[in-house]
Amino acid sequence: MLEIATVFDFAHDSVIFIVGMTAVLASLGVVLCSSPIYCALYLIGHMICLALLFLLYNAEFLAVVQIIVYAGAVMILFMFIIALLGGKKEIQENSFHRAMALTFVFTLLGELYLSATVGQTEPIKGDIPPELFGTAKAIGLELFSKHIVAFELASCLLLVAAVGVICLAKFSFAPLRRRVR
Amino acid sequence: MGQEFVLLISASVFCVGTAGFIIRKNPLIMFMSVELMLNSVNFLLVTYSSFLNSLDGQIFALFIMTVAAAEVVVGLAIILTIFRTRQDMDVDHIDVLKG
Repeated sequence: MLEIATVFDFAHDSVIFIVGMTAVLASLGVVLCSSPIYCALYLIGHMICLALLFLLYNAEFLAVVQIIVYAGAVMILFMFIIALLGGKKEIQENSFHRAMALTFVFTLLGELYLSATVGQTEPIKGDIPPELFGTAKAIGLELFSKHIVAFELASCLLLVAAVGVICLAKFSFAPLRRRVR
Repeated sequence: MGQEFVLLISASVFCVGTAGFIIRKNPLIMFMSVELMLNSVNFLLVTYSSFLNSLDGQIFALFIMTVAAAEVVVGLAIILTIFRTRQDMDVDHIDVLKG
């Protein structure tokens, strides 16, 4: 006889598996599509899958932030830039870059394998009560008590970025003359 | 789902992002690949904070999101400026600073 808890665990695991696989496939779509607008759409799908995974791992505040900041703000910015610049397809012919990318990927995977076979390590255990874990309240308490300096520095960083973008966008540059070869 | 699955997903998304950054020549898609890499690391931080029952990983992921947003804004402005001065979207052709 199946327990209701095991059935629930199995359903939870299978949902995580499906959403994770969808995230990987969407990231493949970002890299392999030739038109930038399809890449942006695949990236939005990837972000939404990641937000679902955050929810499934009890991080509800970060899931909401992921949807609002990434799938909302950042991707809309990408969409505007694509609309301004025109989504031209690119021609792929450089096989040297492809070989370099493959080498890099296999090096990364080898390093991951080596670090996975290092053996038992001691994990850090936290003491957050489970009903509070991942909520906006718990994150706010942590953020404004332990990490207040980093929080203020992050706000300074955002201000500097905004000022820099205004400087870049406001002053018009004279068109660059090509060098005579 | 165990930690191995999370590590596998995160590592594969990171590798796909790296490969995309090296292969593609459109600067917009290179930026999207950087976003993929940042997101995979964020995912790992959040899931491990859930495994270890500690909120530090989520705080770190929040700061990574902040830095990524600032980086995207400035980077897209730079791309727009480059495109305005020279109507070309291939990073291999931007070699004016080369000696």
